[in-house]
Amino acid sequence: MNSPTLDSAILTLVTFIPMAGALLLLLFPRRDRDIRIFALVVSVLTFGVSLHLPVYFERARAGFQYEINTPWIPTPNIHYHMGVDGISMWLVVLTTFLTPLCVLISWKSIHERVKEFFILLLIMETALIGVFVSLDLFLFYFFWEATLIPMALLIGIYGHERRVYAAIKFFMFTMIASVFMLAAILWLYAKLGTFDFVAIQTAIRNGQVDGWVGAAPWLFLGFFVAFAVKVPLFPVHTWLPDAHVEAPTAGSVLLAGVLLKMGTYGMLRFNLGLFPDQSRSNAPWIVTLALIGIIYGALVAMVQPNMKKLIAYSSISHLGFVVLGIFSFTQAGLDGAMFVMLAHGVSTGALFMLAGILHERRHTFEITEFGGLATPMPVYATFFSFIVLASVGLPLLNGFVGEFLVLSGAFRAREVYGILGATGVIWSACYLLWMYQRVFFGKVTHDVNRTLPDLDMRERLALWPTAVAALVMGVAPLLWLNAIDPAVQNALAPFAQLASKVVGQ
Amino acid sequence: MPDNYFARYLPLLIHFLLAGALASAIVLLSWLIGYRKPTRAKLSPYECGMVPVGDARQRFSVKFYLVAMMFIIFDVEAVFLYPWAVVLRQLKMFGFWEMLVYVGIVLVGFFYVWKKGVLDWGKATSARRGEV
Amino acid sequence: MNGAAQVTPQAVEYIRILPEIVLTIFGIIIMMLDPLMDERRSQRTLGAVGLVGALAAIVATLYQSQYPGVGFWGMVNVDSFSVFFHFLVTAVTAVVILTSYEYMEVQQIRAGEYYGLILFGAVGMCLMSSAVELVLIFIALEISSISTYILAGFRRRAAISSESSVKYFLLGSFATAFFLYGVALMFGATGSTSIAVIGQVLASGQPPVLAYVGIALMFVGLGFKVAAAPFHVWTPDVYEGAPAPIVGFMSTAPKAAVFAVLLRILFEAHAPGRLWLIWVVAALSMTLGNIGALVQDNVKRLLAYSSIAHAGYLLVAFAALPANGIPAAMFYTASYAAMNVGAFAVVSHLASAGERYVTMEDYAGLGRRSPLLAATLTIFLLSLIGIPATGGFFAKFYVFSAALQANLVGLVIIGVLNSAVGAYYYLRVIVVMYMREARQEVPVSPVPLGLGVALAISAVATIYLGVLPGRVLEYATRSAGDLLR
Repeated sequence: MNSPTLDSAILTLVTFIPMAGALLLLLFPRRDRDIRIFALVVSVLTFGVSLHLPVYFERARAGFQYEINTPWIPTPNIHYHMGVDGISMWLVVLTTFLTPLCVLISWKSIHERVKEFFILLLIMETALIGVFVSLDLFLFYFFWEATLIPMALLIGIYGHERRVYAAIKFFMFTMIASVFMLAAILWLYAKLGTFDFVAIQTAIRNGQVDGWVGAAPWLFLGFFVAFAVKVPLFPVHTWLPDAHVEAPTAGSVLLAGVLLKMGTYGMLRFNLGLFPDQSRSNAPWIVTLALIGIIYGALVAMVQPNMKKLIAYSSISHLGFVVLGIFSFTQAGLDGAMFVMLAHGVSTGALFMLAGILHERRHTFEITEFGGLATPMPVYATFFSFIVLASVGLPLLNGFVGEFLVLSGAFRAREVYGILGATGVIWSACYLLWMYQRVFFGKVTHDVNRTLPDLDMRERLALWPTAVAALVMGVAPLLWLNAIDPAVQNALAPFAQLASKVVGQ
Repeated sequence: MPDNYFARYLPLLIHFLLAGALASAIVLLSWLIGYRKPTRAKLSPYECGMVPVGDARQRFSVKFYLVAMMFIIFDVEAVFLYPWAVVLRQLKMFGFWEMLVYVGIVLVGFFYVWKKGVLDWGKATSARRGEV
Repeated sequence: MNGAAQVTPQAVEYIRILPEIVLTIFGIIIMMLDPLMDERRSQRTLGAVGLVGALAAIVATLYQSQYPGVGFWGMVNVDSFSVFFHFLVTAVTAVVILTSYEYMEVQQIRAGEYYGLILFGAVGMCLMSSAVELVLIFIALEISSISTYILAGFRRRAAISSESSVKYFLLGSFATAFFLYGVALMFGATGSTSIAVIGQVLASGQPPVLAYVGIALMFVGLGFKVAAAPFHVWTPDVYEGAPAPIVGFMSTAPKAAVFAVLLRILFEAHAPGRLWLIWVVAALSMTLGNIGALVQDNVKRLLAYSSIAHAGYLLVAFAALPANGIPAAMFYTASYAAMNVGAFAVVSHLASAGERYVTMEDYAGLGRRSPLLAATLTIFLLSLIGIPATGGFFAKFYVFSAALQANLVGLVIIGVLNSAVGAYYYLRVIVVMYMREARQEVPVSPVPLGLGVALAISAVATIYLGVLPGRVLEYATRSAGDLLR
């Protein structure tokens, strides 16, 4: 561990460096090149600082680390309480990892209102990190809502044709859903007089909450609805394809890479952490929805003529795995869910970047517009194939580890879950490889495609990190898992008791 | 004195009855023993004044309204002087000064109205001053 | 009143109405100056006098806060509660005068009375918040209302403004009559018009039926003034027609004052039968306000419906327990004042001559044409939605958590659902500003100094209440203690 002052300040730093960057950017003159470079510097700096977290993280310890807890507002009793455990730490790093790539990939594609774009992107980063590090429910809600506005604006201003519709749909879906969470948080505060996650968790576990039995199912649902819309779980997923298709590339990358994980992270942290009994009793229908999501998402992805929509539906399918893993209540399932979150963040982020690169050249996402691209763009095709394979779950690449763990957890929970979930892996191979085949193999069907330029340095710079990450995560998953494991064990502790209680009866 | 709440108003009731009786007696008597000689003018609703038949929507100068309003406002303000005068002895000098402030504010209003030209009937220009 | 023993008020009692005296004097000065000056050039001078008056009143309020206590035979009571609302009203007055500066010039309204009336209205509003005697409250209410009736009709060349004024006047007089009738019945029921005495009588035993009727009638009258459903029908028309800065004024300052009166009557007087009355009115206001706002194309009308909805949110606090409800309601009035005055300041700037540009379409592409103005309006709208880091969020938050502590789960659910619906129409404005191209080029003139200051004050206040609400809430909690003692 490093010095104690840095330890308590590091989360604040990581969270607010992008914000500070955004504020500085506000004062910048409108010279687009300087703005881009500055945004890149800020985001890379944030990534660098955030690496402090895994480097000095005590991996064996289960509780929260790098905690900072100072009162912010006396009434209501709101604390500036931040901290990370093995679960949230990696999501923070994932966010800081993806943001510089987003900056790189938007280098040329954003040429109007450049300043506002990068300001929004950096504010977005702050809000996303804030969601993962907050340990005060209020602070959490604060950041949770704060992600909405920059994202809606990114989609609405810089998106494609139906951007306004998509932005409003995105905003309304998630806003309305999170209002239920706010109601649940308020109820907890009214009863306990604190927003502190740890305090609330302790109070609940010790049974110190009045009227808990009657209210808990509703509170569980309040939280769950907010998270389920964010994930998104079938049948509240309809905002996602629209948002993805219309969003600018950087928006899609952050949306798929990090924003969706807010939902699954929330389930893991709050639904499981605060409502173990309710999670247990609600698991059957939640898992059913997750399985429907896996299969439905995959099947719909298969028939999409639009590349970006295909990736969007594949996200629904992959996030279904995460939910399945979480609600299997097994060590392997939760580990796997965490790992799928990270892997999906990297590889889907990369897929969206690849799709965006193609869009920059041809201004379309229609698969039929392409074909035989391997000939004019060999480097691009190689990257694409690598990421597709990672996404599909090829052993030794990142997708495999997570899906394998989730499925083994699901099998242990109930065999039929495992069997149905496993079909999802097959489907994903089908639609991604088929898409790859249609886009890259065969003869060049459109003459315009013959002269498409291959990747330039900047694009390679944006893609290399994802490829390397995909490989390293596949080869040495333990680097990640040994930090995740204790946190997951901690999250599962009440379930072990629960299980033994059931057995005892 | 009876204790009943309503009984205390008995004198008032008697007063009303007396007044009513007197009024009806006068009307009745003049109707019974009066000497009548109707003419056309006498039979019209208003013996003097305007003809009551015709279009009711006539235009009046806005000045009429202004003056009427001014009258009511200053009248109401003057009414406040009566209760004050009754209790002035108890209020002592405080009452005197307070009323001076009050009259001062009324005078400011008067000054304002005057300067705005509300009281000028003749000058069309000054009447417009407040309008623009 | 039982002050027959001591007739002459002491000097300190004048301090207890000092802000009102200051405002009156400045109002009178404006009235005297106005006919003497050349009306083409008098605007700026008179506005400056008005502004100085409002600022002097703020100073007077601060000075007054050191001399708490009862004055004038138990008719006014200076406590931290009244000081809070004095400050709020005078601050809003100052901001509105700053906003009006440019507006009056652009609209070519030449009338010095305008600033005088604003100050006189402020007198009534200040008096309402410190009056503890129903007849004085009635008089104060009338002073404030009559000023706003006239102000609503100030765009004399626009028929819609006259309509607004007449409508407001007729319905408003009707409502004040209700209030007066309620006061009379309350007097009949308890034998006093002093709120403290009424409180003692009502708390001492089973309140008579007359008291229930009295409270209900007073509530009808006051409910009209704050535009709570079902007494809200006048709001959209009046707000649409009245001059934009005045709408900003009358949707905040008189409302805050009337809410202060309501707080005193309902809590200090231990009003019976309060819960269900408010429950129904709050639920109705939130729902009708939000639904009405969904379909509006005129920004002023939209904000009018939104103000109905916000009156509903605010009333939720009145249904809660006094210890949490009062500070929540006070905080809400403060943050609503900040954001709404700001929003109307932007609206009045964009409206330009004759208030031509007030529809949603005219806001299209504002994000490009005037980024700063659009960003400011966005802050206010986000605050009206109740997004974290703005005053609106904490306002809603305190109100709903106060209601939850009183176990009003149903009302909170209605409120929460409504704020989600509300998000839609505020968002529409933001979407139009940033994501639509302007169809016709609507001119946006540069922001003059006065308006800039007004906007800055409101924006800073909105953000301040959203980031560091602690001090204001603490003060409000202390005031609630004063009020309940």
